[in-house]
Amino acid sequence: MLFENVYIDSEGFPYAKITMSISKPLLDYAKSLKPQKGYAQSFSAFRRLMRYHRRYYWFIAAIVILAVVRSILFSLEPLYTTRIIVNVIGPPTDTSLLVGYLLVILLAGIGYAISNFVLIYVHGVMSQYIVRDIRTDYYCSLQGKSFSFYDSKGVGDLTSRATVDLQLVDAFLRTWFGTVLNAVFTTIIIIVIIYPISPIMTLISMATMPLIFYFTARLWVDTMPLFRNMLLILGRLSSYIQQNIIGMKTVRIFRREKDVVDGFKDVEDVFVNTAIKAGKIQSIYMPLGPAILTLGIAFVYVYAGYTLGIPRSALAIAQVGNMILFARYMMRLTFPIRDASQTLGTWIAAYAGLERVFEITDTPRAVEDLPDARDIRIQEGKLEFENVTFGYVEDRPVLNNLTFTVQPGEKIAILGATGSGKSSVIYLVPRFYDIQGGSIKIDGEDIREFKLDSLRRQIGVVLQDVFLFSGTIKENIAFGKPDASMEEIVQAAKSARIHDFIESLPSGYDTPVGERGVTLSGGQKQRITIARALITNPRILIMDDSLSFVDAKTEQEIQSAIEEVTKTRTTLIIAQRFSTIKTAEKILVLENGSVAEFGSHEELMANNGVYKKVYETQFVQKASPILEEAGAI
Amino acid sequence: MSGSYGTFSTKQEEKRKRTVPDRELIRRVYQYAEAHRRNFIIGVGATIAGALTGLAAPYMHAIAIDNIIQPKNLSGFIWWIPLFAVIILSNYFFQYVQTYQMRIIGERVVAKMRDDMMQKLQVISLKYFSEGEMGRIISRPTNDANTVRIFLRLGLTSIVVDISSILGSFIIMFFLDFQLALLAISILPVAIILVWFLGKYSRAAYRRTLITTSGLTARMQEDLAGIKVTQAYAQEEEARKKFMKSQNENVKATNRAILIGSSYTPFVIGLRLIGTMIILFYGVAAAVNGAIQIGILVAFIEYQFSYFMPLVDLVSMYDQYQSAMSAIERMFDVIDTKVEVLDASPERSMVLK
Repeated sequence: MLFENVYIDSEGFPYAKITMSISKPLLDYAKSLKPQKGYAQSFSAFRRLMRYHRRYYWFIAAIVILAVVRSILFSLEPLYTTRIIVNVIGPPTDTSLLVGYLLVILLAGIGYAISNFVLIYVHGVMSQYIVRDIRTDYYCSLQGKSFSFYDSKGVGDLTSRATVDLQLVDAFLRTWFGTVLNAVFTTIIIIVIIYPISPIMTLISMATMPLIFYFTARLWVDTMPLFRNMLLILGRLSSYIQQNIIGMKTVRIFRREKDVVDGFKDVEDVFVNTAIKAGKIQSIYMPLGPAILTLGIAFVYVYAGYTLGIPRSALAIAQVGNMILFARYMMRLTFPIRDASQTLGTWIAAYAGLERVFEITDTPRAVEDLPDARDIRIQEGKLEFENVTFGYVEDRPVLNNLTFTVQPGEKIAILGATGSGKSSVIYLVPRFYDIQGGSIKIDGEDIREFKLDSLRRQIGVVLQDVFLFSGTIKENIAFGKPDASMEEIVQAAKSARIHDFIESLPSGYDTPVGERGVTLSGGQKQRITIARALITNPRILIMDDSLSFVDAKTEQEIQSAIEEVTKTRTTLIIAQRFSTIKTAEKILVLENGSVAEFGSHEELMANNGVYKKVYETQFVQKASPILEEAGAI
Repeated sequence: MSGSYGTFSTKQEEKRKRTVPDRELIRRVYQYAEAHRRNFIIGVGATIAGALTGLAAPYMHAIAIDNIIQPKNLSGFIWWIPLFAVIILSNYFFQYVQTYQMRIIGERVVAKMRDDMMQKLQVISLKYFSEGEMGRIISRPTNDANTVRIFLRLGLTSIVVDISSILGSFIIMFFLDFQLALLAISILPVAIILVWFLGKYSRAAYRRTLITTSGLTARMQEDLAGIKVTQAYAQEEEARKKFMKSQNENVKATNRAILIGSSYTPFVIGLRLIGTMIILFYGVAAAVNGAIQIGILVAFIEYQFSYFMPLVDLVSMYDQYQSAMSAIERMFDVIDTKVEVLDASPERSMVLK
């Protein structure tokens, strides 16, 4: 987003077409966020989250029971304190009852503490399971996403959805159900206890409840869109900062430092203002419920005061005791109500996180098995493209009516300018993408007849990006066949011309690689990935050999590895080096997604077409530094 | 939310020893807050006033019960009702002012610190941006800033409210009845030790979950970085199994942490219960003797409730406070980085010919 206007000119220097402020799109985005009312979406996300609870109905049942028990025990202390006041202190005074009442309070308290503890634990465990399930679904959906999906999304962003965003969901899941039940059950139980004592005082004390519900609802309705916007802006701000830091060199080269900071400040202002606005609404409504509830106590006092019997009589002390009970219950009710409105707050954050997770989960899979797909064994390795039409976007074809045939064991080098569709051709064979028209056949069978697993396991792939997993070299070579024997691994490494190097390492094949392992050169990594492709002894090999910037020695080593491994296999290779290209039986020159030329090196040189022109310019360019070094120029 | 912040932060970063004392960090953050001095003074004033009016409420109940209702001295309602309403409403008002002002300060201070960081990042030497350091730099204006934001918004307010509630409860309790107050706070030393000790234990468990979470994050990051290879070799099933394994490890560690983390709540509730028992036992005896009145007795139970909760809250805040301090230190680390290549002043800049 930040550097999309940077181009490389004909002499290899970057230049920028800057037409507007760098941060303008971000600022526009932040300002375009209307405080929309997303209740409908929020509700459907909530329902979806509920479906994840279904598997854990035992937990739900346990939580409901524990919550009822907890609410009952919670309400006992004020009840028995009142009995102490009425029956023990009196008049008439009767201290013999005190110990019994205290015991009830003590036991109720212990019971409350235990049920509360078990409830928190059960709730937390359920939350962990649900978050795990959501994360698993997310992970599985990611496994089916296409290459182009990964080209457009950063690994960091996708990971943070499964961690940071799901943490927000976890925070909500850990307590929400218990908190809601607590507010409901405590209210019900209190009403059940106090109604028989005095229906009128019950009505008076509960009169303010609708008001409290109204204000809690208002709090939610008014702040939810704002909080949602804040989270969205914060997300954008973070990626803006990230891009700025990663691309700091570019920023410096183009002297855009001031724009970056100014633009940042503008967006941050929008954020701060939204946050303060949300904060104001929150500050108004949050303490309102408890205040209203407490004010309601005054009515109870006044009513009790005017209906009180003769002062200090037994009747009066009972009335006073009950009044204290009502007042204390109202004070106690403020806690569940406050917790419940805080739960709404955690839901808003959880909802934003869920949205971001489901957004990815709901992106459809790129490639699926056909219902009647089979396991097919590739015998010969004949590969046919027939009128293949393909585009990453439906109506913008990258390949147009592409037709060519590769005989078993033949090596085809693919040549073409950036955007000519080279990578697309080789990626279509293992069905990393599906074509829109025509057909691709292996040994006469359409590749869609193969089960995806069966197809991919039989095709060796060497990607341009030489990625190794953290683990040992052995594990990396055996990646496609985890049960491969040591002989097979060594054989693959020998063919890839990397065996000697591996042997030279102190731990040999058990040397750890990847993030915490040894540092390997690009050429070494590439040869390991070639060995990895060979472990299944595939009939068909596709290679993206676009590794540039390697030194001459490495190039020679890779060259010899490629020559060795492609001898007997049907091979499609995207090649940059003419040394590689010349060893191919045939060369496929692509231009704008169509075959420009197809034939052997000699045929194409005789053809006097694009190939010859490219060959001559590149040969001269390549040759010049060598000649220069030799003192020829 | 977006971007890969949170995924880079390394374990070393978490473990790194703090070098700048808290006092110094607080002083420097306060310098940022100076720009909003008015909001600050109003906010702190409102917080204290809010805590005091909040504590006055149980006392008002005691007065109503003992002096107005019990003796059926109903004319007292004439002054009691307005006073009670004023106290409750002003308590509400102070709470509103306090949370709102603190929010303004928190957001603006962090925004300013973030601006300063961004500005600094544009001028410091490029060698600072070497590979491997990127993630750490990115997490400062994002992760760290957000930690501090949330701390200033919630944590700081809670700390001020909690401390003033605890102190306020003590003062009022001693004012109401010296002997009963002594009894009521007799469990305090035990409570502090217990809460501190159990809190420490649960913090350690919590930190362990952070480590397994970061393991899960690392696994996910690597799996996604190598997804093309996994797809090309049809090893999705294998990868899924490994991922599930590290998920289950994470669930197990977290469940353990939840168990340990919640295990101290029964002790705290139990201790509070003992406090209530003591108050009731001695309070009832005193009430029977006529030494104290019922309203005061009830007020004591409520005050005990209102100093215990903040105490637990304060302890749970300790972790937040520590991580906010570390985040602040890292943020100042960026802000204080020395600039090596300074631009020539504009009038001296030259045009190459």
